[in-house]
Amino acid sequence: MNHEQQLKLQSFLDGELPESEAREILSWTQRDGAAAALLAELKNTRAAMTQADPHLSLPESREFFWSKIEREIQRREPVAASTPEISIYTVLRRWLLPAFAVCTIVIAGLIAHFNVPKTAVETVADADTPAVETTLANSDATTYRDASEGTTLVWFSSAADDNPVPDKTPAAIN
Amino acid sequence: MNTKLFSTTRLACAALFFFLLAGVSAQAADKPLKLEAQLILCSNDAPTNGKPVAPEIEKKLKRLPLKWQHYSVISAQTFTVAKDEIKPLVIGKSELAVKNLGGERVEVTLVGHGKITQSLKKGRTLVTNSNDDACLIVVRQID
Repeated sequence: MNHEQQLKLQSFLDGELPESEAREILSWTQRDGAAAALLAELKNTRAAMTQADPHLSLPESREFFWSKIEREIQRREPVAASTPEISIYTVLRRWLLPAFAVCTIVIAGLIAHFNVPKTAVETVADADTPAVETTLANSDATTYRDASEGTTLVWFSSAADDNPVPDKTPAAIN
Repeated sequence: MNTKLFSTTRLACAALFFFLLAGVSAQAADKPLKLEAQLILCSNDAPTNGKPVAPEIEKKLKRLPLKWQHYSVISAQTFTVAKDEIKPLVIGKSELAVKNLGGERVEVTLVGHGKITQSLKKGRTLVTNSNDDACLIVVRQID
């Protein structure tokens, strides 16, 4: 007997087969001893499971049973908490701490504003750009800045000088 | 509902942090600068005198639009300048005055030539010409 035939027997026992097929299965069980034995075993198992299924019944009606549960839940729900008395410490903590924090920020800002020199609050670009003044009226200064290496070249020259700054990359010189 | 936009404790901690940061920044802006000025001889031939420049300075110099290929240190001076102090220097035939403006900015006066005001944070280098022939003056901040 293969698995398919065993499933057919189970379906026959559950009454899921059409009538013609059910007749075939019935005649088959009458001919085949193994099939008859399996059918008998399945019947016994089914009967045993049906009898073992616990039968629960309530002593009162369904509505009454659930109403009891509802009342119990309502009874156990906490009563809305009454407004606790606010202590002075709580008031101080709630209002004075933020006020203290804001005051601290303002003081820190004022300290930073008056202590950090004006040059320090210039933009990075301004800070990196050199300011060059020449001493002599007929002199000149050539500035070249290599931003990637952080190098600034300032070359002072007078009108009498020949071009002292060599020209590796003349176009780069300002 | 018990929701707060800011926790008071966090707000207080943030305020304290900014307070300390402001103090540290102000202190950093006023600290003395330790600087080094080098007189560097430039040539296109292999240097015969002086000692080779530091590799990081050589790399910086070679990126500048200068005609020379070789650089050697003739002399070097290390000095400290407090904020608003002016440090006079004689390096080679050149006279310099270096003033610490605060905030890691310096004012370098090359006597007879002019004045350079420049941020000289660590890693930055100021290069200018010297009264000596084929020489450069390099100023940088050191540890």
